[in-house]
Amino acid sequence: MHESHTPLIRLAKRDGMPKGQVWAIRGASFLAAILISALIFLLMGHNPFGAFGTMVGGSLGKPTAIRQTVKIAVPLLGTALAIAPCFKMRFWNIGAEGQITAGAVGASYFALFWADKLPGPMLLVVMAVAGAICGGLWALVPAFFKAKWGTNETLFTLMMNYIMIGVVKWLQGGPWEGRPGSQIIPQFDSAAVLPKVLGVHCGWIIVLILTVAMFFYMKYTKQGYEIAVIGESENTARYAGMNVGRIIMRTMFLSGAIAGLVGFIVASGADNTLYSGVAAGVGFTAITVAWLAQLNPFAMVGISVLLAVLDKGADTLQTQLSVPASISDIITGIFLFCMLGCEFFINYRLILRGGHKEVAES
Amino acid sequence: MNKKRFLAMLLAGAMMLGLAACGGGSTETPSGGETVSGNSETPSGEGKTVKVGLICIGDENDQGYTYNFIRGKEAVTEKLAAKGITVDWQVKWNIGEDSSCEEANIELAEAGCDLIINNSYGFEPFMLKVAPDYPEIEFIACTNQASWNDGLDNTHNAFANIYEGRYLAGVVAGMKLQEMIDNGEITAEEAVIGYVGAYSFAEVISGFTAYYLGAKSVCPSVTMKVQFVGSWSDASEEGNAAQALCDAGCVMISQHSDNTTPATAAQNNGAFHTGYNNDMISVAPDASLIGTRIDWSVYFEYAIEAVANGEEFAQDWCHGMDEGAVVMTPLNEDIAAEGTAEKLAEVEEQIRSGELQVFDTSTFTVKGEPLTTCMALDTDGDFVADSEEAVFNGAFHESAFQSAPYFTVQIDGIEWLNSAY
Repeated sequence: MHESHTPLIRLAKRDGMPKGQVWAIRGASFLAAILISALIFLLMGHNPFGAFGTMVGGSLGKPTAIRQTVKIAVPLLGTALAIAPCFKMRFWNIGAEGQITAGAVGASYFALFWADKLPGPMLLVVMAVAGAICGGLWALVPAFFKAKWGTNETLFTLMMNYIMIGVVKWLQGGPWEGRPGSQIIPQFDSAAVLPKVLGVHCGWIIVLILTVAMFFYMKYTKQGYEIAVIGESENTARYAGMNVGRIIMRTMFLSGAIAGLVGFIVASGADNTLYSGVAAGVGFTAITVAWLAQLNPFAMVGISVLLAVLDKGADTLQTQLSVPASISDIITGIFLFCMLGCEFFINYRLILRGGHKEVAES
Repeated sequence: MNKKRFLAMLLAGAMMLGLAACGGGSTETPSGGETVSGNSETPSGEGKTVKVGLICIGDENDQGYTYNFIRGKEAVTEKLAAKGITVDWQVKWNIGEDSSCEEANIELAEAGCDLIINNSYGFEPFMLKVAPDYPEIEFIACTNQASWNDGLDNTHNAFANIYEGRYLAGVVAGMKLQEMIDNGEITAEEAVIGYVGAYSFAEVISGFTAYYLGAKSVCPSVTMKVQFVGSWSDASEEGNAAQALCDAGCVMISQHSDNTTPATAAQNNGAFHTGYNNDMISVAPDASLIGTRIDWSVYFEYAIEAVANGEEFAQDWCHGMDEGAVVMTPLNEDIAAEGTAEKLAEVEEQIRSGELQVFDTSTFTVKGEPLTTCMALDTDGDFVADSEEAVFNGAFHESAFQSAPYFTVQIDGIEWLNSAY
């Protein structure tokens, strides 16, 4: 009698799954993604093995390909690191896009107007600091409103993106424009371009250092602990005598500053100029990276490289097998969906109707 | 239960891995197969294959700028096939004017292209970062202008004298306006053209000035209002701008932007229209008189053939009606003024022979004075032209010193409604 009221599938939270099993699920979901993508390739009339081979070959097959893949991974990793402390605090900063752009603006100002006044390395340092400060200040605005008046940070940070992108569009067509009417800001002086190490701009070294630093900051410092406590429960933090508003503002400034630094790296290292699409959606993709890595900085390295491989691989796929760009996007989407989806199965279990034994078992 | 499921997953995983591993070896077969078939088609005679990369800012869906390149690409493939040259195209669509353009250039260079064509103005700075690393590959930046002084032998610029086509479209528009005046439909003062421009950029200014001069040559009382939209392609903004111009009393609309919305706006307001990049008669049969476009296949043929034969080709190429690089789309005979086709043929011949100069300084004034001096090139990088006098022999010589247009003078009779862009 009771059976008829039970839904076909029920969900139950599960806790304490063995580590091996967790990784097995993740591996399986990754394979599922490959399988589904293979199906898509087949439907499109391509040999799936050839297609995957092209993707891997195109992203990791040659030194030039690896360099480009690294170049794609650098801002992803940097931005994921930037938003990690905010997310740990359960402050939903989806404004990394704008903070990257703000940082790029700050750095570009010095690149464009101080290149002949400052010695080379000094110029880069000033640009980096300016980028970090601009990004930090841009992030501080929503944090201040949240701390003072409890505004919704999700909407606030999102809207701040469009303002900053608008500012750059104005700079492009107005005061910083190169050839009249071109909407293009001139390329930076070579002194304002990040030097290359092993063929890629040295931004990759900066983000790797940041990775280690962020790991220690979150795990072993008092500030990192405060962030974790607020994330668990704001009331507990208050009860423990923490100044929650101050910590929110401090963390957001840090987050924005790192994003701003990424803006500097992209503008100086990759683009050598400033334009409104400098963040190129990285601020949003980095949220996926951060979540997939469960806010673990070292895991972020792997995830961002994986996404970069998919991105670059899809690009090669488009050139060599003339697969439409939208198919490449679908493949990337399938991978993200499967990888994010598997976290669901790690946290919850499905119970089929009549699965009494299993319930009793656990 | 759990263990069983786990095992099943592992098994599935192992199978997939095995399959993937097998796949790794056979990668090259499908892509390799195509190349072979490409070669095997032309064993007779002096068959040559050139691998050409094309980087586009849009795709065929824009029905304008990039679509026009695709037409050029298809036409040249046929033309060269007749000469025994096979073109193996590698095309990148929807590339941004940012570091993704640099990556696209690297990608195509690594794919073994002999020639890489960048189709948008903003691509050039990124192309120039890649070109020095591949001296054996020729790089082309269409509509841009750095090749004459970038110090590289393998970079090229190309454009066409589109102002010639603009001038002719202006003649068609002017004849229509004059006919309306003669029929008493409008007064001489009401002959106002509305022009939807993308940005106040030399290419746009040069185009609408040529258009206005063409119209003025057959309708002396004509004036023009220009509205900039701040985008090369924004369908709704272009439509809004055309609507605003119609509301301001313009009876003829033309455009330097990518979409067909100005044509439909003109039709809805009972105004006439001349287009760009594409024949717009099908979308606005009661308004669209004619259009003009660049036929890129002329340049592509020249460049690709040179590469196929291992010859050098010009670093800065610009031709117009003399080589057929600028063409008019079909004239809408149903609504055009009487005698337009004959007049068009006559003026076209005059331009082709050099008898008629589009920017004849006796036909326009600047702040009431004739134009006596105007520099063409910027040599010191401050974006102000400082060298090569373009005004001589009674005319301003557009695209004579570099392929990209450099006419930026605001002449009398053309009113800029906004200059923020």
